[in-house]
Amino acid sequence: MAGGKTVKDLMVDVFEFPHIPYWFSIRQAMRIIKKSVLESAKCIRPIVILVFDEKYNLVGTLTHINILKGIEPKFLKHTTKAQVPEYSQEGLSVIWDSLFDKESAALAEKPVSEVMVPAKLFVEQDDPVTKAAYLMLHNDAILLPVLENKKKLIGVVRMIEVFDEVSNAILNE
Amino acid sequence: MTLIDRDNPQKLYLQLYEILRGKIESGDWAVDTQIPTEEDLCKTYEVSKATVRIAVSELARQGYLRRQQGKGTFVCKRIIPEGLSMVTSFKELMLEAGVNFSTEVLARTVIMPIDDLHIKLDITEDKHIIYIKRLRLIDNEPILLQETYMPHHICPLPLEEDLENNSLLEILEKKCGVKITSVQDYIGIAYLNEEEGRLLGLPEGAAALLVEQIFYSGKSKIKYTRSIKRPDRFKLFIELERKQ
Repeated sequence: MAGGKTVKDLMVDVFEFPHIPYWFSIRQAMRIIKKSVLESAKCIRPIVILVFDEKYNLVGTLTHINILKGIEPKFLKHTTKAQVPEYSQEGLSVIWDSLFDKESAALAEKPVSEVMVPAKLFVEQDDPVTKAAYLMLHNDAILLPVLENKKKLIGVVRMIEVFDEVSNAILNE
Repeated sequence: MTLIDRDNPQKLYLQLYEILRGKIESGDWAVDTQIPTEEDLCKTYEVSKATVRIAVSELARQGYLRRQQGKGTFVCKRIIPEGLSMVTSFKELMLEAGVNFSTEVLARTVIMPIDDLHIKLDITEDKHIIYIKRLRLIDNEPILLQETYMPHHICPLPLEEDLENNSLLEILEKKCGVKITSVQDYIGIAYLNEEEGRLLGLPEGAAALLVEQIFYSGKSKIKYTRSIKRPDRFKLFIELERKQ
């Protein structure tokens, strides 16, 4: 791609995103999203929390969608292991409403490590933007962590900036 | 051997107290060994029984010695006396006490404020906090479990520095230029959960000494520390001075 921009030119500082350790509960993560994103003047998108281990290594990411899936009662989840009769999705959603207080509240005590998306893909700060675009497209990722010297997490590159950069290259051709 | 100096204006029992304390701290009298009898100490130092009793009682009160009914007086594992209004790091405290200490860093990561942490640190809820969990040991025996929380924007260096051999206070003061001017201590009792008990070698539910500290630089809150201490290894020491 012309222009030769690298991931470093697009990345957002890692401290723009909330950080939590993997042992925090879903309930704690929900409050953090509320307080440090939704009610904050910053309100950076996409809504993502970075999840770390005891040694400050990134182990995963957590979106509001992962959180909602985490508190969804088990019986509402699709099963692939057994043949089941067709069911009405609207009907099931009504059942969730009636069970919300009890079951979802209990599920919110689970650690975020059970619902986060494990961090497996990384880019280096000097990698080309196209590499980030490729990894995102083929892994259905909305952002990628950026490392310095394959070790230190220094930032995050988001799909929106990658899209913008690729668009510029096409439109200015 | 140091003897009592009768020309010294210091009281005899104080001189004897310091001599005996020196023997314990230097290892001359090893932990768990029996110290000489009252009569022997009287003869050795040429002092009265009353002088020996006061000196030995003071050493027992400060945790250097323990008396066993019908058996004698023995040297104890050191109990660390801690001043209430100290602005002293664990390392300094241990060096003063002359003991072999070490630190294990159990966790060092970044979190967002939960519960009332933002109030304790006087920050907004979207600020990042460095979280450090350390186990402090004396002679490889755990005595203190400490969790520290500090705003990342004040000093990010504790994320990278060697915390097993360096004091957090030293890093703050010498490398980040943040001078600690005062500390507020809140002292209470904690009942250990399963993990705390396992780390401190005590049963779950056991009572331990809880010290919560808020460190200030001027009016800014710099750090909040929650320490759980084995009750058999610490003593709080308060010195009160009457103002004329």
